[in-house]
Parts: sequence; structure tokens; C-alpha cells
Amino acid sequence: MIFDAAAGGRTIRVEVRGQDGRYTVVLDGRPLEVDARETGRHFLSILVGGRSYEAGIEKRPGGYTVVLTDDVVAVDLVEAARVAPARKVSGPARIAAPMPGKLVRVLVSPGQDVQAGQGLVVVEAMKMENEIKAPRAGRVKDVPAREGQAVDAGALLVVVE
Amino acid sequence: MTARQFRKVLIANRGEIAVRIIRACREMGVGTVAVYSEADRLSLHVRHADEAYPVGPPPSRDSYLRIDRMLEAARKAGADAIHPGYGFLAESAAFARACEEAGIAFIGPGSATIALMGEKTSARRAAVAARLPVVPGTLEPLADDPALAREGERIGFPLMLKAAAGGGGKGLRLVARPEELEEAAARARSEAKSAFGDDRVYLERALVRPRHVEIQVLADAHGNAVHLFERECSIQRRHQKVIEESPSPFLTPELRERMGSLAVALVRRVGYVNAGTLEFLVDQERNPYFLEMNTRLQVEHPVTEMVTGEDLVKLQIRIAQGEKLPFRQEDLVQRGHAIECRVYAEDPDQGFLPSPGRILALRPPGGPGVRDDSGVYEGYEVPIHYDPLISKLVVYGYSRRDAILRMRRAVREYRVLGIKTTLPFFERVLHHPAFLSGDFDTSFVEQVFAEADRKRERPLEVAVAAAALAAFRERRFARLAGNPGSPSRSAWWECGLREGLRGGAGAP
Repeated sequence: MIFDAAAGGRTIRVEVRGQDGRYTVVLDGRPLEVDARETGRHFLSILVGGRSYEAGIEKRPGGYTVVLTDDVVAVDLVEAARVAPARKVSGPARIAAPMPGKLVRVLVSPGQDVQAGQGLVVVEAMKMENEIKAPRAGRVKDVPAREGQAVDAGALLVVVE
Repeated sequence: MTARQFRKVLIANRGEIAVRIIRACREMGVGTVAVYSEADRLSLHVRHADEAYPVGPPPSRDSYLRIDRMLEAARKAGADAIHPGYGFLAESAAFARACEEAGIAFIGPGSATIALMGEKTSARRAAVAARLPVVPGTLEPLADDPALAREGERIGFPLMLKAAAGGGGKGLRLVARPEELEEAAARARSEAKSAFGDDRVYLERALVRPRHVEIQVLADAHGNAVHLFERECSIQRRHQKVIEESPSPFLTPELRERMGSLAVALVRRVGYVNAGTLEFLVDQERNPYFLEMNTRLQVEHPVTEMVTGEDLVKLQIRIAQGEKLPFRQEDLVQRGHAIECRVYAEDPDQGFLPSPGRILALRPPGGPGVRDDSGVYEGYEVPIHYDPLISKLVVYGYSRRDAILRMRRAVREYRVLGIKTTLPFFERVLHHPAFLSGDFDTSFVEQVFAEADRKRERPLEVAVAAAALAAFRERRFARLAGNPGSPSRSAWWECGLREGLRGGAGAP
């Protein structure tokens, strides 16, 4: 699972995979082997390379507040827009907003040819800008959304055929 | 005065100090009566007391400041004494007088002494009469804005604008320039009115980078008076103390001796009985100036208890029962070092804005030499109506260094979730070189520390990793829950974990 995280003025791409308390956490491309377990409600005991952290985790809109011993850090977190595998090449691809937010930029216009993975629109949510990418190559058929518009999760943004 | 034993004490207060007093009473075999406002039905002091009675709606002027309701509760419960704690009615001469008239012992000085010392300008006049040095300023409250402007001009800026009935930093303003005086006075008056029911103010010269050092005194009704050394209270924000310690790293043995003698001289002069504290400012040349006397138990009394081994609340009760002090000055020793950190429900990263709300998780520290005088519990909702102090964390060590290291350790152990607290701030203050060296004054937090703190390196990667792990686990569990037929053992295990997570982390 890949997240875009914003904390203390920095944005960090973070990937998490694993299970049963053993995870690989990739911070901006740097993989860390992490042992993470819940210790009662709201706490994670985290071991990284032998170092022990006890993080208090408070859920809040847009992410979490992480309470460490010497600091409290608000972390905004969104699951990075996934590039859907090109399962079906036929039929138009309807690209919808993955989260509620504001459409800050439209990068394409109808009739334009796009490559798979090319940015289509930018949605701002939880204080972060998220580029929504084309799931496959094709031609932009329609861009029903306008810049500056508020969009709900699932709102149709771009149709690529 | 003949000694008698109280059977039942009503605590006319709330929160951590009410809990502290209940503990002392219980250890003495004295019955305890709590009072509570409508916002405090679930407060810890109500749970700890033998009896509890409601005294009105949440605003303190309708509940904890209502003398009639306190006395009514005392009569209903058959309490023979009232402990006022600090704040609220603790320095109300009218309350002490009402207790005296009702035949209920007030655990504190007599109403006449409270009136004399509680009003800050008459206290200054008494101190001058007892030959104590005082901070230059007015010796009378100032009636109106023209009088303020005139006196401000005479004393010179910057100056301190203070509530005559003040205490605890309320109704207190530093005024840098004449044009700020009127606005500051309006705010100070309104604050003082709501905190003390008295909006009179006076002026004092603001000393340059003073230390705030106070002397604890005890006096019985038999003419015995002692001091229990000093507390260093220079670590403040918004003129309110956040860290206190004893001994002060700034005092020489000679100055300690001198300030103690000055304090006892004033106590004797005004015929003071029970526990009290004389606050002094000490300038850069180590000249002490009497500031005011608090005719009550102080928030930070535990640091004195740690270094003297005495229980101030029990001594207050024994003095009020008419007993003699069980020691003389020469019996008292200041041993080792104690530090208190006030755990406030405040956000240090937002200028110490109050942060009321529900405490999602609470892990108090333990181990040797650690004392947690708390007024809250996990699941408790810190109300918006009262002082945001939720606990006092106090440690004892053989030396200052030992105590600092122990406090760092205790702060690391102490975890509060759901509300912001001053704990992470303490962790950083306890590493600051100026704090470690003892070379700091009342400007430390807002000037010296704040600057370095803004530039601090923050543990962002750890936080991001922790948040991502939490999000990952939450989403995984949600997917598993959507597929209850999953045969995998680990899925069941994780579903079990999810139950724990759902209880709180998922709550808004």
C-alpha cells in the first residue's frame, strides 16, 4: 500500500507491505524492516533495526496525530492514486476522484492523446496535491470537471477512450 | 486554642488539588466531602471522596465561587472543616469569614489576614512595614484609567499591571508602552473580575530578567513560625509557572537564609497562621524583592514536600485543628532536589492554547522517586470551564542533575493521547542547555527556549512511518472484516486486533 504523507512541511512517499506485525516500510525509496505491534488501544510499539519507539496514534480527519516522547506530529495521509493495471484495453476508462477534495488543475483537454501513467488532473485533498494519472493510453474524450471545483469521492473527472 | 480532631473535611475545590487534599484526609482518617459543578460529575475528585454534593452549573461563578452553596454542602454533610485548595475561594476573605461565622473551621489563615495579604497592595504596605524590600510601584489600587496613566508615567515602562486580588497569573499583564496601558487594563480587569470577582488593579515596575523565587512558610496559632526554604519558579509561560524546583540553582546559602528570615518576619508581623507562600523576584544582582503573599496552599507545594519530607496538607489540617507545629526551624533540612512539571491540557506548538477534550489514553510514569498528582483518568473529558492543569509530575533526586535525568525519564514514560499536553515540551526543555546549567530567568520559555525550539529537528520520518503503519493496518483489517469467511489464521488474529483498534482509534 502506497501513501503520500505530509508532515511538518515535508511530503514523503511511504509504502507499507507485510503482515502479522512484520512490515517493510519504504520511506522515499529507502526500505526499513519494521516490527510493529499494538500495545493496547492507540499505541504502536515499533522496532526498527533494534531501536524501540512507542508511538501514540490518534486518528483525525485527513490522517493521524502521532504522539512521540519529545514531539507531536500531525501526519496527513492519502493512499497514492494507484495506476490500475490495463486489464481491459477496450471501452472508455472513466477516471473518478479517489477522495473528496478540490480540483486544482486540469492537465489535459478533450481530443488529446495520453500515455498510460500520464497526469490528467490534480486534486487537492487533506492539504496535499494528488496527481490523478491515466490508467492506460488513449484519447481524452471528455473532461466534465472544471478547475477550482470541489469534487466528491467518486466524481467523474476524465473519460479516456 | 485547644486542639480538636476534624471528623469530616469538605474540599471546596476540584481537579488534582481536590484529589491531593482527599488523599491527605484519608491518610489521617478524616472523612472527605467533595463538591462538584454540573461539568464535574465525572471528575476524579468526586470518585475519590466519601461524599459528593452538586454546587451548581459549570461556570465557576455559579458553582465553585458560590460561598452559600459551599456552606450549604458543608452543613448537609456535617463537615466540621473546609479546605479551599488553591484558586476559586482559597483567598476569599469573605469565604473564610462566612466559615468562621458558621462555626466551620477554615483550613487556612483567618479572614482578617487573608483580607490584609490577599489584597496585593495592602500586602505590599505590610511588607514595607516589616522592612521587606518590595518592587517599586503603587501601594494602593488604582481607581481609573487616568490614575493608571499618571502612575504608569511615574513608575516608568515597561511595567507590570496586576490584579489587586490576583494570583496564578490571572489579571496580569506586562505593559511595554504607555499606549498599551488602557487596553491591557481592560483585559486584566475583565480577567480579574471573572477569576476573583474583583477587578481592581495596581502597577509595579517590571524588573529586567528577574528570577521568581518563593519561600514556603508555616505558622501555628501558638506563635510558632518557620520557613520551609524556597522554590524556584522561573520557568513560566504567560506569567504562569510550568516547572518549579527546590532548591533554586540561583540562591546562595546566604540569600536563602536571608529570604527565609524576611518571610518569617512578615509572618510574625501580621500574625499569620497556617501555610503560606511569599513570592519574591530576585534581580540579576541577587537582590530579592517581595512580590506578594499567597495565603493558601500553592500548586507547586509537592517540591517542598519532597525536599523536606513534610506533608504540607496534613500540616495545614493539624494547624487548623489547633495543634502546634511539630518541628522548629533548626529541625528542618532541605535535602536533595525536587522538580515539578505541570502537565497542562495545552498545545505548546500553538502558543499554549488550551486543549480540552477526551483523554483517549493515559499512561502515567512509575518507578523510583516519581510522584504523579493527577486529577484525570483515561476516558475523562477535560472540561472547557476550568484551569487546564491535569496533573503535576514531581520527581526527587539526590542532586539537581539526578532530578533532571529522572524527570526526563518520567516524562518519556508519561503518555497522554486525545488532548495536547505540555509533556513533549518538557522533554525538550529538560534538554535545553540553559535549563541544565540553571542559568535562566522568567523570560526563558518565551524568548530563549522558543527560538531554539522552532528550529528543532522533528522526528518526521518516525511519525510518518507510524502513521502509515496505522493506516495500512486499519485498511487491511477493514478489508478482512468485509470478508469474514477468510480461513487464514492470521486473518482471525488481525481481526481480533481490530476489535481493539475499533474501540478508539476509529472514533472521531
